[in-house]
Amino acid sequence: MLLAALAVYPALGTGYGVRAMLQIFMWIALAGSWNLISGLTGYVSFGHVAFFGAGAYTGAILVAKADWPWLAAALAGGVGACAVALVIGYPCLRLKGPYFAIAMLGLNEVLRALVSYFEGLTGGGSGLSLPTLHATVPIYYAMAATAGGVTLLTYAIITSRFGLRLMTIREDELAAEAMGIDTARHKLYAFLLSAVGPGIAGALAARDQGYIEPVSVFPLATTITMIVMVLFGGKGTVWGPVLGAVALFVAQEFVWARFPYVHQLLFGAIIVAVVLLMPRGVLGILQIRYRLPRTI
Amino acid sequence: MTIKTLGAVLVAAAVLAASLPAGAQGPIRVGASMSLTGTYAKLGNYQHEGYKLCAKQINDKGGLLGRKVEFVVYDDQSTPATAVRLYEKLITEDKVDALMGPYSSPVTEASANVTEKYKKVMVTPLAATTSIFKKGRKYIFMVISPAEVYLEGLVDMAAKRGLKTVAVVYEDTLFAKASAVGAVDLAKKRGMEVVFQEGYPKGNQDFSGMLTKIKAANPDVLAASTYFDDAIAITRQMKELNVNPKMYGVTVGGDLPEFYNLLKQNAEYITGATQWEAALPYPGNTEFAGAYKKEFGREPVYHSAAGYAGCTVWAEAVRRAGSLDSEKVRETLLKLDTKTAFGGFKVDADGFQTAHKMVTTQWQDGKKVIVWPDELATGKLRFPTPPWNQR
Repeated sequence: MLLAALAVYPALGTGYGVRAMLQIFMWIALAGSWNLISGLTGYVSFGHVAFFGAGAYTGAILVAKADWPWLAAALAGGVGACAVALVIGYPCLRLKGPYFAIAMLGLNEVLRALVSYFEGLTGGGSGLSLPTLHATVPIYYAMAATAGGVTLLTYAIITSRFGLRLMTIREDELAAEAMGIDTARHKLYAFLLSAVGPGIAGALAARDQGYIEPVSVFPLATTITMIVMVLFGGKGTVWGPVLGAVALFVAQEFVWARFPYVHQLLFGAIIVAVVLLMPRGVLGILQIRYRLPRTI
Repeated sequence: MTIKTLGAVLVAAAVLAASLPAGAQGPIRVGASMSLTGTYAKLGNYQHEGYKLCAKQINDKGGLLGRKVEFVVYDDQSTPATAVRLYEKLITEDKVDALMGPYSSPVTEASANVTEKYKKVMVTPLAATTSIFKKGRKYIFMVISPAEVYLEGLVDMAAKRGLKTVAVVYEDTLFAKASAVGAVDLAKKRGMEVVFQEGYPKGNQDFSGMLTKIKAANPDVLAASTYFDDAIAITRQMKELNVNPKMYGVTVGGDLPEFYNLLKQNAEYITGATQWEAALPYPGNTEFAGAYKKEFGREPVYHSAAGYAGCTVWAEAVRRAGSLDSEKVRETLLKLDTKTAFGGFKVDADGFQTAHKMVTTQWQDGKKVIVWPDELATGKLRFPTPPWNQR
């Protein structure tokens, strides 16, 4: 029912409605991906927007310089982000706790600097402008597929032995190692999978927007929003990121339309409230209270 | 409620609607996405105030086409992605009658894709990057002078005084870089040699490495394409490192009162580039500055004046076209040749501004004096710049 409603929505909704839904799908893909690495293994990534930016630039460069069709460029964006994850994940996932978080923060800054530096390819600080294309509706479906794909992947992982091992790492990495789990390799796989979604989403968003610049595709605020969405919905769950993305995006959209000067204040208040009052998120609380299965 | 009563209510409503006089249409709703928060908040708010004053004055004079003008404004948090969504909302959900531009080149570049898609005219008063208007877009209109000429005054004055070498530094973003590239081209055209050229990232605070290299290159002129914070930091560090070219000019920021308040006598001799000054002899300029101060309690800056002028020009085009129809307003704007409190307005077939003139200012004994171009100058350039300890 819901799927059918989403499928016909572009035919019925306004241009704004379609774009807002597209944005919700994007946040589901981003939050869901952050959940894959940070929610499941407990390795908090403070630079996940780096993969979004890497995907955006990979896709945009392929479209602008090599005339790729946008769908192929979007998939390439996923591959590009994955490649970045491989390079950075291999050494960095051996770091523990806050050191990993800081390394990821650094990655984001490094990528932004690199993109600014290689002007010939990326346009540097002036940004990259893509030929005008009115494809919001097809991009809507592609983004929906990305969001669905990330959620499905999360479900598949959580219900698998691979997922159980990841959660073992989260609870006690030493014990996991003692039980014979190759923790380094498991973490790396989870990390690679968590980069694909943002990469594709970044390339799609870049194509839809038609113009990207380093400042607007590597903002720390995007990482923070991803984290808050997952914490709000429930980390380590399948539907938590979806719930968090929908709830917070709708709230933000509703709030800024009316109170431009307080929306950041309210957003901050939500973060504090979630961390203090329900560290397991909405779904986490429901799971405990109503004994819902872990696979929700 | 039965079907019958519902029907009766509907009939009554229809009769009521039909009996309203034609003149009692609602207000003309003008939509805009503004940077009310985020990086550009300060300047975006100035622009917003320009819009507000323009709407107020139109309404005080009886409105436009007999209707009141009302702004529908949302906050885009200074991000292009949000602005894109907001223009889509303004057009498809709020169904506004007209649109005005957002603040800054990056946000305009992204938003213009939406307004073009719906073939809606958008006057964009605060986008100064040429490339935005040279991509075959048909419905956007530029108000301010392009980035490329921001440093024209400095280069021109230097060339006239026989200076030979110039160093150009810039913040590495769309607008600032375009103005640096413009300065380099102008300097070369005037036979000057560009001995140093370097960009720095947005938000940079330490310029000592760059300034040391500049000191070694020893240019006659230093042209800095800046916003505000970087202009302050560069000036302070120049004094610390005793970098003292014969002429030194910045772009955005150098004309703001805060520039002098922070730097005091160190701001002396420094030139700034601006799109507008309250002292310029444009029609209605004094009245605008007075009304602005009365309404918002402070002096207007060029961002306010540009916003005000953009809205005024749009209203003038609507008045002449006698319609809000996008195509008709577009035709009128293309033909319009007028002068506002902000200066000249005339665009080429791409909507690119050709009539508006930049001015260059210099701080002299704590006062901002217009020193370029000659026909608008209120004083003479003080030259050359003495050592830092003698200012």
